[in-house]
Order: sequence, then structure tokens, then C-alpha cells
Amino acid sequence: MVYSYYPGCSLTGSAKRLDVATRKILTGLGYTLKEIPEWNCCGAVEYGNKEELLKLSGENLKKAEGLSKHVIAPCPACYRNLKESDHQGIFHIYNPLDLFDISKIKDMGIKRDLKNMLFTPYYGCVLLRPKETAIKNKNIMEEIITGFGGEIDGEKIRDRCCGGNLFFSNKEMTEKCVGLIASRSKGIFVVYCPLCHMALNTFSERKVVYITDIILYILGERKTI
Amino acid sequence: MTQKIDVEKIIGFTGYKKGDFSVCLGCKICASVCTLNDFSMHANPQGLLLKIFMGDDSIDHDPLIKNCVSCYRCTDACPWQIRVPEVVRALRESLKLSSPFEKAFKGSISIWGRVYEPYIFLNAIGFLIKNGYLKHLMKWTEYISFHLPHKIKRI
Ligand code: SF4
Ligand code: SF4
Repeated sequence: MVYSYYPGCSLTGSAKRLDVATRKILTGLGYTLKEIPEWNCCGAVEYGNKEELLKLSGENLKKAEGLSKHVIAPCPACYRNLKESDHQGIFHIYNPLDLFDISKIKDMGIKRDLKNMLFTPYYGCVLLRPKETAIKNKNIMEEIITGFGGEIDGEKIRDRCCGGNLFFSNKEMTEKCVGLIASRSKGIFVVYCPLCHMALNTFSERKVVYITDIILYILGERKTI
Repeated sequence: MTQKIDVEKIIGFTGYKKGDFSVCLGCKICASVCTLNDFSMHANPQGLLLKIFMGDDSIDHDPLIKNCVSCYRCTDACPWQIRVPEVVRALRESLKLSSPFEKAFKGSISIWGRVYEPYIFLNAIGFLIKNGYLKHLMKWTEYISFHLPHKIKRI
């Protein structure tokens, strides 16, 4: 089956690495991806007028229709907007986190494990709230990390807010949020959201990686985490 | 900077109808989970809804307007799943409170149909310098990759 793929703006620029890795892993897992032709920005969270915001994602669904009604959107904000704009519920919209599957990753050929490494899998807000648009498997990052021998910390802050939303309007708030998260967790931050990556990376002294970096490391396609 | 608030316009932006908020129980569960209150910022999402509903012009002093992080913790905990952050975003839009960065973001969409990060960065450079963002540049090197903007075609 063919899946419509919606990279979104961040994944063509600052989060290019997330795009490359996501495509590679999904292809390895057997998904056939076709990029939505001439896709437009999803509007992120920059629009106070909800109709105006969802119209942007509605356009993208129209452009996807000819390819496949099964749409994959990695960036959490794009994913949520696409899901919300599907008023009639005729599309199936997935975040790759719901398609990653540890047993299938194992079948791709494991070269390394995560033994003696400590991680804080951090989901943040958009992937988990509101309920209607949340991902299904809310433990996928833990499953991958522990499944390959890594250790977990920061269970209590995994769904707290990084304040990334206000990064470019009121960064004092972002700094406060990251401070709280960093003070209650240990180890390498593991995220899937480009904005969480930027917020945690900017305001904490800890290493921040995407879960896809870890998967590629396990598969031997990345030298370091 | 007290501005008149336009209740109809704000509610119109959210996609809610005015009556939708009458289900609010005043239980303040939203306030008990609000991210701002982790930092003792005295946020009360229910109070904000009430002020909007009453057309209270003192609303622009509410800490949520500047600081609501759109985390949806209030929504998740609310018995009616009321989407306070969407109300806040509507309020910000109606009060025209967007930062130069946000304006550049929309500017990019109107030119190319997509966000072209270098354009936004250059357009908001004054704001970024003034507000002390450039000291973080060293941490941003991993985000820099060269690509040209793509102007989307109508299909
Ligand atoms: S979305 Fe805004 S009002 Fe609701 S809990 Fe988060 S910060 Fe508070
Ligand atoms: S949690 Fe919901 S019902 Fe309770 S006060 Fe807040 S908005 Fe009203």
C-alpha cells in the first residue's frame, strides 16, 4: 500500500535529519511513501483563527487524496493539524511513532545495543494532547530504548510542556519550562518533535536526540547517538 | 495597553459558540494543572473564560495571554475538554499581539506557501538581537542546512 507523506516545513530545513531518518526507517519497515505534491505549510500554531488554520491542512489533504488516504506526518504539529482538519474522518493520519515496531526493527538487522546508557524519553504536549489527536502507543520510545538494553529516567516529566510554543515570542517562559524538565530527569533527552528538540537543546546542557537517531544507531547506520 | 475586547470575534475565531462555555462548572481543575502554576504565576483558565464571556476589558493583564504555552493540560483535565489554549490564541490574534517572528512566519507562507526559515530569521533579526536570541547561535549550528525556498504551484 502507498502512503502519502507530508514532511512539513521544519523537516525540509532545521529538522532535515529527522526527515531523512524517518523516511529511511519507514521504508525499511516496508512502507511505501510518496510525498504529497506541492504540499503547503500546516500553519503550526501561529493562527488564532481556527478556521483559517485548518483550511491550510485541509488543502494538504486534498492534495494527498490522489495518492493515498493514508497519510503519514512526522512533525507533531503538522500531524495534529492534519488530523483536526479531517472533519469527516475519511483519512487515516499517522505519526511515524505509531508505525515504529520493535520486533520489525529487530528484523532490519541489529548492529548495536543501548546497554549502560541512560535516556529521558520526552514526548511533550502535541503528541499526547488533546486526546482526540494523541498518538496511540504512548510508550513507544520507552519500548525501543529498553528493548535494546537502555535505561529510562524522567517518567514524571515526559508529558510536561517544553514551552517551545513561545520560543520565538516569550523565551523566558520556554526557559522556565525546560528548567523544570531538566531538573527532574537525567540522561540523554530523546524526542520526536523538532520544536522540543530546539527548546531542550537551547536551554539545557544535556544532549538531545531524536528517537530516529537511536534507531539508526542500533541499525548501525549512525556512528554515535 | 487596555484594549476593547471583541467577544464575538474571539469566540468566532475559536470555532466555539458562546453557549458552549456555559457548561463550565467553575471547578478550576484547569487551574490546578496549568503549566504556569508550576512557576507560581497565578493562572486561572476558568477565570479567563469568564472574563471573555463578560467582555471584561482588564483581560489583557491576565498572565495567560503572555504566557499560556498551549500545552492542553487544562483541556485534558477538564470534564468538558474545553480548549482554553485555542481561546487564548484567538484572543492574542484579536488583540494583534503577534511577535515579529510570528509575522515573518505568516509572511513566508504568503510568499511561498511554506515556511522558509532563513527568510523568517532575517526578517525577525532585529527582534532576535534585541531579545537576546543570538547568544544561542552556537547551539543552533546543527539546525543549519542550505536549501533554496520552494514556491508551491497550484495543482
Ligand atoms: S494550555 Fe495554557 S491555560 Fe491550559 S494548562 Fe497549558 S498553559 Fe495553562
Ligand atoms: S476544568 Fe473545565 S469545567 Fe472546570 S473550571 Fe476549568 S474550564 Fe471550567
